[in-house]
Amino acid sequence: MTDLARQPKAGEDERIALARQGDVRAFEALYREHVGRVYGLCLRMAGEPQAAEDLTQDTFVNAWRSLPGYEGRSSLATWLHRIAVNAVLAKRRSPVGRNEISLTDESGEQMEFAAEQDMDEATPIDLERAIAALPPGARDIVVLHGIYGYSHEEAATMLGLAVGTCKAQLHRARNLMRGRMRMEAAT
Amino acid sequence: MTTLRFSDRKRDQDPLLAQAAELPKDIAPAHELWPGVHARLDEAPRQGRSFGWPMALAAGVVAAAVSALLTWGLMREPAPQAPQAPQLAGDPAPPAEFVPVNYGTDSAIGAEQLAARDALLVQFRQSLERLSPKTRETVVANLAVIQRAADEIDAALAQDPASGLLNQMLVRAYQQELQLYSKVVTTGGDIMRRS
Repeated sequence: MTDLARQPKAGEDERIALARQGDVRAFEALYREHVGRVYGLCLRMAGEPQAAEDLTQDTFVNAWRSLPGYEGRSSLATWLHRIAVNAVLAKRRSPVGRNEISLTDESGEQMEFAAEQDMDEATPIDLERAIAALPPGARDIVVLHGIYGYSHEEAATMLGLAVGTCKAQLHRARNLMRGRMRMEAAT
Repeated sequence: MTTLRFSDRKRDQDPLLAQAAELPKDIAPAHELWPGVHARLDEAPRQGRSFGWPMALAAGVVAAAVSALLTWGLMREPAPQAPQAPQLAGDPAPPAEFVPVNYGTDSAIGAEQLAARDALLVQFRQSLERLSPKTRETVVANLAVIQRAADEIDAALAQDPASGLLNQMLVRAYQQELQLYSKVVTTGGDIMRRS
């Protein structure tokens, strides 16, 4: 499993063992270590802070419930991310969880953007805004593969998609992001 | 021969992905979320080792096998007798009740997929009417098998919410449901042409 840019903190195995036995303080320590990474993924995939907070809470409650069955085959960070991805995908079942619109430009070409997210217009991070404006399928693969460093195979497994579909979504995402960033640069 | 990981090469080669890889991985939520998590821990029954997996796998296999048998059954569907005899008051076989598969709250079957299914359901309901009562019963029984598979997988997902494979199995059950509707719609059209 890829797990770029994150090494478990010292004593994590011990905290996991204690939390598996029902030690809430140990679980809180794990929560504190991982909440930023889980919330970051939820915010980028869901695109909305309130939904991301709810999904983050759901992720940790599900993790607590399932921790006795966690066998350590993947790192805790990856395991939590998988739970978070499943929570995000489940939330999209609800019509209010979907936030996608299609626009047509002057040439009739369809432009696919998500409805504008709660992203501060003044933020200098153009790339972050371009990612937030992607339709969900394309955004998912950019977040998992591009930002969090999961391979196509890992991301495909997490999203329940074929590897080829993930690669196609990434290609689509790159084109959409470039278009978006060119539009922003021109205005 | 050197094996290069496609994903890492792509990330290095594509400036956008290289920039994306530099974005912060951690983002602090604006609110303290732990009290909300803590309050829900007592209500969250803890799972032991998962026993749902074997049942979910078995259910998935059964659903696939039954779906294949249905194809064979539909191929043998006779053209309807015309005119249809009116159903007598004492007839013992009421039409089999049709209920679309319900996917649990932990599943990854999205609103988009359910909307696609609903669109197909309109045609399916019309085609189902044209089938003989016996075949209709078989179709409904097949749906029940897929529903049981979905329930088993949902239960396993509740125990193992991080499992991508279980979600894939659920998507497979959804695809089987759609294939079943599609087969009935296609067969219904064939029967109309034959009659």
